[in-house]
Amino acid sequence: MLSLRSVTKRYGSLTALDGVSLDIAPGEFFGLLGPNGAGKSTLMSLSAGLRAPDSGEVTLGGVALEKTDLVARRMLGLVPQTIALYTDLTAEQNLRIFGQLYGLNGPELQTRIDDALESVQLADRRHSAVKTFSGGMQRRLNLVASLLHRPKFLLCDEPTVGIDPQSRNAIFDYLEKLNREGLTIIYSTHYMEEAARLCSRIGVIDHGKILALGSLDELLTRLPFEDEITFPETPATAKFATQLKTHGQLDTANGTHRFRPQTGYPLSSFFAAAEQAGVPTRLFEIQRPTLEAVFLHLTGRKLRD
Amino acid sequence: MHPILVLFVKGVLLFTRNKAAVLITFLVPVVMIALFGFVFGLYKNIDKGPGGIPLAVVNLSHEPAATDLVEALKQEKTFRVIAETSNADGSKRPLTEANVRAGLHDNQYRFALILPVDMIPEDSFGIHLKFLSDPRNEIETQTVNGILQKTIFSRVPQLLGQSLQQRSKKLLGDARFESFNRTMANTVASTYGGDPEELYQQMIAGDFGFSALTSSPSAESAGKTKSSDASDIFSRIARIETEQVAGKQVSNPMASRLVGGYAVMFLLFALSGSATSLFEEKRSGIFQRVLSAPVRLSHILWARFLFGVALATLQLIALFLAGKVLFGIELFSHAGPLLVLIVSVGAACTAFGMLLAAVSSSHEMAMGLANLIVLVMCAVGGAWFPVSMMPAFIQHFSKLTIVYWAVEGFTSVLWAGQSLMEILPTIGILVGVAVVVMAVATVCFKRSAMFD
Repeated sequence: MLSLRSVTKRYGSLTALDGVSLDIAPGEFFGLLGPNGAGKSTLMSLSAGLRAPDSGEVTLGGVALEKTDLVARRMLGLVPQTIALYTDLTAEQNLRIFGQLYGLNGPELQTRIDDALESVQLADRRHSAVKTFSGGMQRRLNLVASLLHRPKFLLCDEPTVGIDPQSRNAIFDYLEKLNREGLTIIYSTHYMEEAARLCSRIGVIDHGKILALGSLDELLTRLPFEDEITFPETPATAKFATQLKTHGQLDTANGTHRFRPQTGYPLSSFFAAAEQAGVPTRLFEIQRPTLEAVFLHLTGRKLRD
Repeated sequence: MHPILVLFVKGVLLFTRNKAAVLITFLVPVVMIALFGFVFGLYKNIDKGPGGIPLAVVNLSHEPAATDLVEALKQEKTFRVIAETSNADGSKRPLTEANVRAGLHDNQYRFALILPVDMIPEDSFGIHLKFLSDPRNEIETQTVNGILQKTIFSRVPQLLGQSLQQRSKKLLGDARFESFNRTMANTVASTYGGDPEELYQQMIAGDFGFSALTSSPSAESAGKTKSSDASDIFSRIARIETEQVAGKQVSNPMASRLVGGYAVMFLLFALSGSATSLFEEKRSGIFQRVLSAPVRLSHILWARFLFGVALATLQLIALFLAGKVLFGIELFSHAGPLLVLIVSVGAACTAFGMLLAAVSSSHEMAMGLANLIVLVMCAVGGAWFPVSMMPAFIQHFSKLTIVYWAVEGFTSVLWAGQSLMEILPTIGILVGVAVVVMAVATVCFKRSAMFD
C-alpha cells in the first residue's frame, strides 16, 4: 500500500501540499483530479521519492519512502508529464537505457523490450529515432519506458496531454489491461472524463488539499441533486423556469437553462409542472451530473478555471 | 551495469547520433587551427606567396650607398619593397614622391621611404632620409620603424664615409682634397702594404674599410663582399654569447605553443556546450524519470563528468594529431606525459563546464557566461599570446585560469620536453582545480532547481 500521512510540501511561500493523507491499496486505479497548480505533480513526485515532504510521511508497503531509498524505487514506475525520452535515440535504445538503469540486462532485457514495443504497437519502429514519432507514439513509448522493470505501482502524471483521441484511447485501453493484471495505478489528470472512465477511486485535489475522496458514485452523492435537466431559454420557457427556482438550483447561461432539482423533488413532479405550463417535454435533456459539477460544488469554480 | 556506466554510454550514444555535435567538436577546431596556421605562417612546406609589409621606396640619390641601402631593405623579410609603378602601356618606371603620396592616400601601402638627392648633403655631416607613413595600425608602425632603423644603421658607416669625403672636398678644395687623400693612401700603403692607387680610389669613394664591420666572416671567406644583416655590426661591437637551453629539438616552436592554446579554447567551448545540455534534459523531464529509477544525483553528475573527460581527451588528441600532420609538431616522443596532461586538462575543463551549468538558471544564461568567461580566460591565460607579454598585474590573474596551467603544461611537454615527473606540479594543479570546481558544482546542483 502507498500511504501519505499528513504530508505537507512548500516551495517558498507557496504551499503545494497541505496536510494530505491518502491510502492507495494494491490493485487500485486511483485518480487524482484537479486543475493545473492544484498540487498533483507535487504529490506524484513525493510518491515517487523524488522529493521529501517538509512534514508528514510517505510510506510504501509500510516502510517510509526516503528520497535516498533506491530499493523502494524498483517497486515504482513514473510516467512524467513530459515526453521524458532521448529523442535523438531510437525507441529500442531508449528502452535499453531505462531498463539498464533498473539493473536489467541481457536476454531478459531484450525480451522485455520486445514485449513492451509490441504492446504499444511500436515494434516495427524500434530502430527509428523517437523524434520522428508522432505525439501519440511518443506518449505510448513514454508509458512503456516506465514499465520495463515491472513495477508494482505506476505513477502517471497527466500522461495524455496533447495527443489525439485515438492515441488517448489506446493508452486508456493499455492502462486498463495493466490494472486488470494487478498493477496499481495512480493517475493524475485535469480531465474529468479520464478520471470518470478509468479510476475506481478518485481524489479531488485543489490548493494542495484533498477535498473529496471516493468512487465516482460516492462523489456524485455529495451533490445536493441527482439529475441535471437542461432546456432552451425562450419566452415560452421563461415563466416555467421561474417556477422551478423553488424546487432546486437554476442557472441560465448561453441561452440554456440548467436545472438541478433538490433531493426529494421527483422527476414526475417536474414533468407534471412542465405539462401544466405548456412546455413540451421534447425540449428537456436529462443528464447524470459529472465530476465537473462535483468540483464546482466543492470549490465554487469550474475545473478548468 | 552500473548506472554511471549506463548514463556514460547514453552520453556517447547521444553524442555520436548528433552529427552536428561531432563536426563542431572535432572537425571545426581542426579547420580553425589549420586556418590559424596559415595566418601565423606555421606551414613549412607551403609557398606563402608575397609576404611582408609593403614599403614604397623612392631613390632619388645617385650615391652608391643609397642603392646599397635599397638592396638591404629588399633583403629584409619584414618588408615587401615597392620601388616601381606601372605605366599605361604596362612598362615600369621608378616611383616618384608624388606617386608615393597618392599611394599612401589610396591605402596601397602605409609606409614609404624617400632617399632624396641630398641624401648625403655637401654642407653638413650626416645623412638625410624622408619617411612617410599612415600609422593606422600602431603595432605595424612600430615594427616598421624598428626594422627600418636597424637596416639604415647597418649602412651608416659607409654612408658617413661618403658624407665625410664630400664635406672634406668642399672645405679643402679639389687640389688639397686630392693631395690629402694621396698622402693618406701612400702612408697606409707604406705602413700596412697594398696598392697606393687602389687605396686612393677607395678613400675618395668614402670607403674607409667600415664595410668590414658590416660583412660577416663567412661571407668574406666565401668571397662575398657584404651582408645585409645589421646585427653583424652590433655583434662585433658587443659580443653576446647566446645558448638555447630548451626547445632545441622542436621543429615548429610557434605551432607547439599555438596549437596547445587554441586547443584549450575549443575544448572549453565544447565542454561548456556539452554541460549546458543538462538544461535540455531537465526541460524534457528526463531527470525525473532517471531519478525515479534506482539512480542517485551523484551517478548523473559522475557520468556527465566522465563523459566530458573522455570527450575532452579525444578532442585534444585529435587537435594535437592535426597539429602534427599540419605543422610537424613532435608528439610521439612525449606521448606519456602528454596523455596524462590531456586527461588532467580535460578534467579541469569539464568541471568548469559543469560549474557553469550549476550556477546558471537557463541554457541561454549558461552559454552567455561561457562565452564571456572562456574568452577572458583564453586572453588572460595565454591561449592567444604569451603571458609574459602582458602587464604585470594581468599576469597575476593569469595563474587563476585553467588556460594558463594547460598552456604551461603543453609548453613544458612539447617545447621543453619535460618528463611526467617534471610536469607533476602542473598536473597536480589541474587535477586540484577539477576536484574543487566539481565539488562546488555538485553543491550548486543540489541547491539549484536543475534536478527538481
